[in-house]
Amino acid sequence: MKRYELIVVGAGPSGLSAAIEAAKCGVEVIVFDENEKPGGQLFKQIHKFFGSKEHHAKVRGFKIGEELLREASDAGVEVVLNATVTGLYQNKEITVRIGDAIHHYKGDTIIIATGAAENMVTFPGWTLPGVIGAGAAQTLMNIHGIQPGKRVLMLGSGNVGLVVSFQLMQAGCEVVAVADAAPRIGGYGVHAAKVARTGVPFYLSHTITKAHGTDHVTGVTISEVDSSFKPIAGTEKYFDVDVICIAVGLSPMSQLFKMSGCNMEDNPKKGGQVPIIDSYGETSQKGVFAAGDVSGIEEASSAMIEGRMAGVCAAQYLGYCTEEEKENKLKDLEKDLDSLRQGMFAPSNRGKLIEKTDEGIDVSMSLLTKGFVSDDEIERFPGVTHKVGVHPVMECTQNIPCNPCQDACPKGCISIGENITNLPFVTDGSQCINCGMCVASCSGQAIFLVDEDCGDGYASITLPYEFLPLPKIGDVGSGLGRNGERVCEATVVNVKNLKAFDHTNLLTIKVPKEYAMKARFFRA
Amino acid sequence: MNILSDRSRDIGEFVPAEDDDMLICRCEEVTKGEIRKAVHDGMWTITEIRRYLRTGMGLCQGQTCARLVKGIIAKELGISPAELEPATARSPMRPVEMRVMGNEEA
Amino acid sequence: MDKKADVVIIGGGVIGCAAAYYLTKRGKSVIVIEASDNIGNGGSSRNGGGVRQSGRDPRELPLAMYGIEKLWPNLSQELGVDCEYHKDGNLRLGKTQEHLKILQGLTDRATACGLDVRMIDADEVKKINPYLSDEVIGASWCPTDGHANPLVTTLAFYRKARQQGAKFFTGEKVLELRKVKGRVKKVIAEDNVYEGNYVLVAAGYESRDILSSVGIDVPMHKELVECLVTEAQPHMFNQMLGTAEADFYGHQSDHGSFVFGGSSGMELDNLNKGAKNSPSNAAITAPCECRGIMKYFPDLKDAKIVRTWAGEQDVCKDGVPVLGFVDEVPGLVVACGFTGHGFGIAPAVGEQLSRLIVDGETDVDLTPLRYDRFKAKI
Repeated sequence: MKRYELIVVGAGPSGLSAAIEAAKCGVEVIVFDENEKPGGQLFKQIHKFFGSKEHHAKVRGFKIGEELLREASDAGVEVVLNATVTGLYQNKEITVRIGDAIHHYKGDTIIIATGAAENMVTFPGWTLPGVIGAGAAQTLMNIHGIQPGKRVLMLGSGNVGLVVSFQLMQAGCEVVAVADAAPRIGGYGVHAAKVARTGVPFYLSHTITKAHGTDHVTGVTISEVDSSFKPIAGTEKYFDVDVICIAVGLSPMSQLFKMSGCNMEDNPKKGGQVPIIDSYGETSQKGVFAAGDVSGIEEASSAMIEGRMAGVCAAQYLGYCTEEEKENKLKDLEKDLDSLRQGMFAPSNRGKLIEKTDEGIDVSMSLLTKGFVSDDEIERFPGVTHKVGVHPVMECTQNIPCNPCQDACPKGCISIGENITNLPFVTDGSQCINCGMCVASCSGQAIFLVDEDCGDGYASITLPYEFLPLPKIGDVGSGLGRNGERVCEATVVNVKNLKAFDHTNLLTIKVPKEYAMKARFFRA
Repeated sequence: MNILSDRSRDIGEFVPAEDDDMLICRCEEVTKGEIRKAVHDGMWTITEIRRYLRTGMGLCQGQTCARLVKGIIAKELGISPAELEPATARSPMRPVEMRVMGNEEA
Repeated sequence: MDKKADVVIIGGGVIGCAAAYYLTKRGKSVIVIEASDNIGNGGSSRNGGGVRQSGRDPRELPLAMYGIEKLWPNLSQELGVDCEYHKDGNLRLGKTQEHLKILQGLTDRATACGLDVRMIDADEVKKINPYLSDEVIGASWCPTDGHANPLVTTLAFYRKARQQGAKFFTGEKVLELRKVKGRVKKVIAEDNVYEGNYVLVAAGYESRDILSSVGIDVPMHKELVECLVTEAQPHMFNQMLGTAEADFYGHQSDHGSFVFGGSSGMELDNLNKGAKNSPSNAAITAPCECRGIMKYFPDLKDAKIVRTWAGEQDVCKDGVPVLGFVDEVPGLVVACGFTGHGFGIAPAVGEQLSRLIVDGETDVDLTPLRYDRFKAKI
């Protein structure tokens, strides 16, 4: 039987990272993936990632995927696509369906990085065509270039629900609402804010009570729920939609581990059934590792680090590096992983209501329940200051591990201080040159360049804009508030799109100066 | 022994609900009411429900309904879903035609 | 929790559940103790569903015939659950002269016991089952054989027994039996001690350890077999199938899926470090079965396999189960060593053992299956 030193199952972010790391140590690696394209979920991610430079911050997901593939190919990793691993048997034997045959391979080590599958919720009509997972919507839009529908209701306000809502709008769909049974928005506030400011309403403590239609979805009813998640009669709200998008979490696809007899645990904090692993991903079976979402739901950035850890451990297991070399590498990787797992959204904080930022500032409750920071809350955050002339306004109000903004400014105007999760602030004595790099670099689209008085009673606001058609200079439309409601008339005075902005257009609008700190979006 | 061991534990009567005819396992067309009734018939584990009703035994192999079925059983038994052992994982992880399965390359 | 009953049954498989049903029906109080977390987790849920008489050893054939005549026809109605019983015959297929010789031998022995089974030629085989390949040159045909759904049947017995007041405890491993004043009475399990006037040991291979605590050993070993299931197919045929070569056995279920059992021939070497509650498959078995099946049913080549599973047979040294009282240990009743063909006779075993316990006699002669039959060969 053909034997490999390392077999990796799954060519997503963690699988590829594991393969690269092991191959760099000299291990002969093969990666199997059932899809026709490698990269897993990365190629569906058209938004910019959070984190630090080491975590590929401000790089769009699919670009990270392309980088990983290049790195894998440079390291001599063999990736076999359209290859479905159908079983993991005793003695680390796997069966792989390739074409019309079942192939048997053995691995001295095996890293399983099969990722996760989408969860579903039930409501009358949930089986109608038109009820789809958020991941399915992403696949349609971002892989196949197909619009899932015209009008969409999103259920789920976690990062997936928020990011996909935004992507649906980018694809030309109308998102009629984001609903969530939880009383608070689950994802990053900046993701919610960029959806809310376009006018999408958030319905927290709401769930779907009916999908309407006979052979496909034609509408949806949502209802408010009480504290035990029971719908409250009389609170129904109806929307005309042709798509209901479900983003209610993921479950690890850990079946291969279970089948092979690894010790498993059912851990709600990790998203469901996962193999019991040590801190570097090794299971109860020597030489069988787990990496990425299959060992607990997180996100791509941490999956990549976990993959690298498992890759290093496999290399050491196979004698390609010493215990000491392994420990050194792991120490660095652990530092990276730790920095990602900090802040309000750290796995250890899951489900907790955090009321104050690390800086001691009251968290915006409007952000958590309506998706936007209200006008009377925004001034208390350190990124929001007033100056004469153009200056950055950073509406970054939650402690998340992300810092591209401070590197983006060539003049050193922006700092987040010691800790990567700190809120950004404008440094003293700094001089903004209106270059827009900070606006384009913010993965949360939370930075604006504001000149509160540019003459004649007007203010100018430069905002990130990632929709088509792109407004033109001279276009007159509406300035929308953080809540997505029209606050004033706005005129487009500049449209900038530099290569360095990586497809984030910078729109400068002119609004009456009293709206300088209120208008945050432009609608033609 | 565990929380499910004593199969004579009183879990109350089966009470019909409005959404009992809602499909839960789409592949095998099993409804919520059938699952709830089966629990009252003594099928207290995910495995027993599978064997009794075929939930999760179809082409998708439970990918969609496993979590839903688990939630329904747990609720009916008045326990946390985490106390129910998930279903066994069986090869092939994806359905494979017999001619392919029989066509081995070592 | 009352831990005393007229009969304590060790093993919540189809035998234990059937016995619990028939005993409670006769008014006896019953406790069933099952080691795994699931009812029917051993061979009861890991078999091809055959309800056959043909091909059986003459010692257990009367039980099979009794069950098919008296119990199976009304079982679904009696238990209130559709056990998917079909009495549409069994074809045991042959492709070579050597096969036909094996089939002839089996047929001769069965007819001697009064069973309606006969050899048929290729034409007649095709008439009964037109989907078979031309490689089949003959078969033995028993029109009164059939199949049922073993998973549902087991749980149907459990359901009804439970309704009749049988108390079931799962996840409770029995460690030993203890005699009290000359009679087996106490069942010591991991978490509790149970007491019964009779103790029925129906725990598959694990019966061996349990019985040894009262000085009884049944000569048996474990053998792994595997089954596979296809996606639902359009209805093709209702017969139970087997082959002279034993490449596979199985049937099409009411649901439309095909359930086929088989082996690779290498099973004894399987280390079997499987997952919790489930023995593990070997990577080579399902492919081997598929090749076997396709030789007989070329039309099934595109049917998708959705699942495979493994199960352990409690293979008795002489190929038939050990049933009934053990004279040297009063109060002890044994039902184990079914050797991979226990499902079809399970209702008859459960019913006859209940007769034995309640009335002290049986309708079918169980003497040839008694424990004391094992003797050295010379």
